Amino acid sequence: MAGKISNTPATYTPSPTSQNKKRPSIVTGSDWVRPDGRGLHQCRPAFLRTGAVNSASGSAYAEFGNTKVIVSVFGPRESKKAMMYSDIGRLNCNVSYTSFATPIRGQASDSKDLSSMLHKALEGAIILESFPKTTVDVFALVLESGGSDLPVVISCASLALSDAGIRLYDIVASVSMSCLGMNLVIDPVSEEESYQDGNLMITCMPSRNEVTQMTVTGEWSTPKIHEAMQICLDACTKLGMIMRSCLKEAVSAPEE
Amino acid sequence: MAQMICLQRWKWMHLDAFSHYAFMSATCSNQYGLMDGLLEELEIQQLHSVSQSTIYLLRTWSLSLYTIPRQIKCFIIVGAVASANGSALAKIGCTTMLAAVKLEVMTPKLESPDEGCIAIDFHMPPICSPLVRPGRPAEAAPVITKQLTDIILSSGMIDLKELSLVSGKAAWLAYLDIYCLDADGSLFDAALLSAVAAFSHLQIPVVSLNDNGRIVLISEENSGAMWEKEPVNKEKRKLKLDTLPFSLTCALHKNYILADPSAEEESIMETYLTVVLDSSLQLVSLNKPGGPGLAQTSAIQDCVALTIKRVKELQKMLNEAISDMEVD
Repeated sequence: MAGKISNTPATYTPSPTSQNKKRPSIVTGSDWVRPDGRGLHQCRPAFLRTGAVNSASGSAYAEFGNTKVIVSVFGPRESKKAMMYSDIGRLNCNVSYTSFATPIRGQASDSKDLSSMLHKALEGAIILESFPKTTVDVFALVLESGGSDLPVVISCASLALSDAGIRLYDIVASVSMSCLGMNLVIDPVSEEESYQDGNLMITCMPSRNEVTQMTVTGEWSTPKIHEAMQICLDACTKLGMIMRSCLKEAVSAPEE
Repeated sequence: MAQMICLQRWKWMHLDAFSHYAFMSATCSNQYGLMDGLLEELEIQQLHSVSQSTIYLLRTWSLSLYTIPRQIKCFIIVGAVASANGSALAKIGCTTMLAAVKLEVMTPKLESPDEGCIAIDFHMPPICSPLVRPGRPAEAAPVITKQLTDIILSSGMIDLKELSLVSGKAAWLAYLDIYCLDADGSLFDAALLSAVAAFSHLQIPVVSLNDNGRIVLISEENSGAMWEKEPVNKEKRKLKLDTLPFSLTCALHKNYILADPSAEEESIMETYLTVVLDSSLQLVSLNKPGGPGLAQTSAIQDCVALTIKRVKELQKMLNEAISDMEVD
């Protein structure tokens, strides 16, 4: 993009005339009405499919409302020559956004930080001893960002890893929750994320009942955190079941 | 408590590679004499990973030695990305391209005050192929970007005057971004197809000029109520496209022409030839990027003949995809 600025003049996106930047006062007061009409503790319907990319060892496509993500897994393949010998495998993650993922072009939110968070979320679930000296590459591309991107990327990545046949302790499911004034909303959309007071994201392995990553940002009181964690873990369990059924379908479906 | 529902939406037509081969074997004519010759060549080039049976079933050969492109596995979906002004997903064989056009407002250049601009960018994200690493752009990406820019601008598909808003003050800059989601050969063909489909789907939104001299979108709710300023364009309109360019890449290998090679085939073929024709079957571009094979005139003519057939098929497919979209 930097090279382009010298050639093309500065541009702007025409914004709608009635743009309300201020947070609606309803949030601080009574119940928050969600823009897509869901209940406060209701997640978006999930569409999951493995085998999206033919060139990869394993891949998955996930669509949660407007958030669309493709993840490809390559490997295990030879580590870079410069790397030292390692008797356990290595994991390499990268998350990137398309330029049309956000409503304003080129406004990829914190994508460098997301790669490292994806790495930490998956690290605990992969049996690294099963592929010593080699590296497994997990690459994610967010096609459209509709809120709650990182949890969708993590869930999709664990599906892709299963599709690639990498040994895991358990599939990893991830859900996030936003705190809007007095309300706790699960699986927030971009609008809700922009108004949030705090965010809690949990990544867990449902069958083993173990949390691989938990991120809390913003203002939270202790009882709120307990409540949010409980709701999120419950949602992760349900998401885990949906992911399992998706994997079973992929394996048992006759080859077209 | 939390509820989850699993939905089936946005059909992904992922046809397995073997189904393609099985189909071809059913229509395979008895041209094993020719096949043996090619088989020897391929073996010499050490194609250990591909089994012999796969190569036999790879293509059907007619007497005049040209082959059928991967037509049975092509499809186009327009309007794949909701947040973009125009978008399309094109899949030829396993090669998948997602193109999206986003319109932004810019000040037009002094020499051409009533012309807009198009900026084309082709990306190969690391998901598409094991050869692409994050942080290191693929070798093919800038080459294809340049080819696409040249062809789209020179084919006369879009009249830049259509992208003008207020003469001398504001015009549209169309950012066309094409992402390769799966790289399996013939990247340029799929990229051009998705770009053309995205432009066919493009709808220019209704905007008006406000007091500060900035262009603002008029949302549908306001249209009934008072309008402070006269809108620059009355209603959402589609671009008027003149002729659409379509292309076909053929790999040339000694005496053989393989139309629409997959990545595996591209890696062993010596050189290839890309022919771009527009919908009135005029030649837009012919590109043969070096390579040891010399293309005889007869080979070039054969390639152009193949491209003519291909253009007709792709045109039909694109029209169907657009009319499907409009019905929805």
